[in-house]
Amino acid sequence: MSLAEVITLINDSKLGTALRESIYMYPIVEGIHLVGLAFSVGLILFVDLRLIGIFLRQLPVNQVLKPLRPWLLAGFTVTFLSGLLLFIADAEKVTKIWLFPVKLALIVLAGLNAAWFEYRWGKRLQTEVASAALPAAVRLAGLASLLLWSTVVAAGRMIPYLAYK
Amino acid sequence: MFEHIFNNIQNSGIGSFLGKQNHLLGAIAELLHIAGLILLLASLLVTGLRLMGWGLVSLSVADLAKSTSRFIWLGLALLVISGLILFVPAANIYYPNKIFWFKFQVLLLALVAHFTLYQYVTRSKQVHLWVARIAALIILGLWFSVAFAGRFVGFF
Ligand code: HEM
Ligand code: HEM
Repeated sequence: MSLAEVITLINDSKLGTALRESIYMYPIVEGIHLVGLAFSVGLILFVDLRLIGIFLRQLPVNQVLKPLRPWLLAGFTVTFLSGLLLFIADAEKVTKIWLFPVKLALIVLAGLNAAWFEYRWGKRLQTEVASAALPAAVRLAGLASLLLWSTVVAAGRMIPYLAYK
Repeated sequence: MFEHIFNNIQNSGIGSFLGKQNHLLGAIAELLHIAGLILLLASLLVTGLRLMGWGLVSLSVADLAKSTSRFIWLGLALLVISGLILFVPAANIYYPNKIFWFKFQVLLLALVAHFTLYQYVTRSKQVHLWVARIAALIILGLWFSVAFAGRFVGFF
């Protein structure tokens, strides 16, 4: 089966059709996808700002990252699931827009950046003391995360813009 | 009366100036509106979680609220400026939209709550945990409702 056929199958599935044609469900899912960004991208933004050194410098990184982690992971779960539903509802239309695969690739990059950060620095930062200057690589990882997630948000918003114009 | 005001806004000097600009300006305003949205809601969320006894508990509510305050105002400033750029050149479209009116009624309530309830719970020395929790739920509920309403404007 070709990719185009899979996309048609998803688009015409019961779930896809029901979502696309419902008056309330589609807007609600899109609202959740957008407003849920406050939990996912929004909370990770504050971790990034701490890494860069703009927010809560009086606290060790670990005391910002650890207590926010479950909330932001829950946020990303909601963002991904609602995004998946929007995709199922609009698979044929959305895959015609070049920005969509770019957005997905950027999400993978941002995810890899986060995974690398956890692997390389996760343990070490547990013993870090407040006020000590963070290694340049850590601040850079924070900046990369901030820029990557911002670009994902911008790409996400430009997709409906390109689709309906 | 409002119909007349909205019409005057759209046909004002700024309204027709903005209306003549490239679509790019609208796209930039939409992006800034989302940037402001995420900044505002996430700052309120960090503070709200703390009020409920979760999240950044190694800081006092007062200290955390001091740190998030500038992000709240920056987010709100971005929202208002970009929101006006979207609204002014198209005021007449929004006049009959019920959800548009609802958004600004709730926004008014959210601002009132911010200058009263929010200030009270983030500045008082002794607030009962359950008072703080209910206050945080009200504050977050109002602001998230503004955001949901904002997204629904375009659908209905
Ligand atoms: C952190 C990750 C993500 C971010 C920051 C993000 C961001 C956004 C934003 C800002 C919008 C515009 C919403 C609006 O203005 O109402 C959007 C729409 C959308 N997103 Fe995402 N998204 C993410 C993940 C995903 C994933 C994983 C998928 C699918 C697999 C997805 C699929 C979609 C679809 C289909 C739309 C609707 C496009 C349309 O309206 O035609 N998103 N996203
Ligand atoms: C003076 C203040 C504001 C003005 C004039 C304003 C105006 C607007 C306008 C004209 C739109 C476009 C609606 C459409 O055609 O779909 C919009 C969208 C939106 N607004 Fe506002 N707004 C303001 C404040 C806010 C605030 C405080 C919030 C959130 C807490 C907010 C959340 C939203 C959201 C979520 C959208 C949908 C964005 C999207 O489709 O991607 N707005 N606003």
